[in-house]
Amino acid sequence: MTKKSTSKKSTRSFKIEFIEESDNRIMVLLRNIPVTMANSIRRVIISHVPTLAIERVFIFRNDSLMNDDMLAHRLGLIPLTTPLGKYALPEEAPDEEGSKPEYAELTLTIEAKDKPITVLSSDIKSKDPDVKPVSGDIEIVRLAPGQGIEAEMWAYMGRGKDHAKWSPVSVSVVRGLPVIRIKKTGCNKKCKKCVEACPKGVLAVKKGQLIVKDLYKCTTCGLCMEACPDIIKVSIDETSSILYLESIGQLRPIEILSLAFDEVIKKLDDFYSSLNEVSLENV
Amino acid sequence: MIPVRCFTCGAVIGDKYRKFREYVEGGMDPKEALDKIGLERYCCRRMILSHVEIIDKFLIYRRLGTGGRD
Repeated sequence: MTKKSTSKKSTRSFKIEFIEESDNRIMVLLRNIPVTMANSIRRVIISHVPTLAIERVFIFRNDSLMNDDMLAHRLGLIPLTTPLGKYALPEEAPDEEGSKPEYAELTLTIEAKDKPITVLSSDIKSKDPDVKPVSGDIEIVRLAPGQGIEAEMWAYMGRGKDHAKWSPVSVSVVRGLPVIRIKKTGCNKKCKKCVEACPKGVLAVKKGQLIVKDLYKCTTCGLCMEACPDIIKVSIDETSSILYLESIGQLRPIEILSLAFDEVIKKLDDFYSSLNEVSLENV
Repeated sequence: MIPVRCFTCGAVIGDKYRKFREYVEGGMDPKEALDKIGLERYCCRRMILSHVEIIDKFLIYRRLGTGGRD
């Protein structure tokens, strides 16, 4: 942020702290960032981070009970691992020479022989080893003996704003950082009413001291404050936000986060250049 | 067939129903089975819990004009 501000708080530098990180989820603390900005990142994560998903399905044979359109819909919803930068984004021109491929090709050819079978996402064959279903156990349809499916699928890059199948996350939430202030004097540390009142188990008494055990579990519901209004005060730190997201599996959570920042910057650049055009016209 | 994704949050559940059924048929409490599968939110849990698998009952019929044995 290079913009000058009169308030002292926003001149402090922006910082990211990782609270929790695993294969499919991430919780980060965004320090010294306005809530509106954190929220725009949250929204961009849901609707603007590009991923691969099956968009076109050519069905040559479908004897199953499921109609072609229903089958295509289910195939589209299967999340695919997305190699970053390998396939052209929807806004990139695909005609130029040396450009990225527009789509990934996948095929599904299966027939039930003697007994009924369940078609799983692991039956989908991909021409590109980098593109494959995130989970191989997703049930697509069931086939009776003699029934079969033959289909070719094209997976395109896309964004969640066009269809939810391109959204890389199931959860993307921003909330304020809770601040729990405990007065040191006046608490007898024995009644434990505040500890029992908290549905999330945030507070605890340890070694005769009332402490905050897990601050990030606090939802700022204020039940502990109601139980003991003289000692405990719960509020929200307006300058920091907690961002929590859960990946579906196409991208790693950390990739989603960095792509979201790129997308926000891209949007702002677009806005800035279009603003310049307008102001030049007016002169 | 079990839907591929949770209607509300979009998490994949299509790969979890079979496991859930195995657990429950083996005598496990549905609550424990859902916890074991790793579904936390009640939107995803209801998808599995309230699903009725009927495709096997229809499997003895076939669609008009399609292949497959009688």
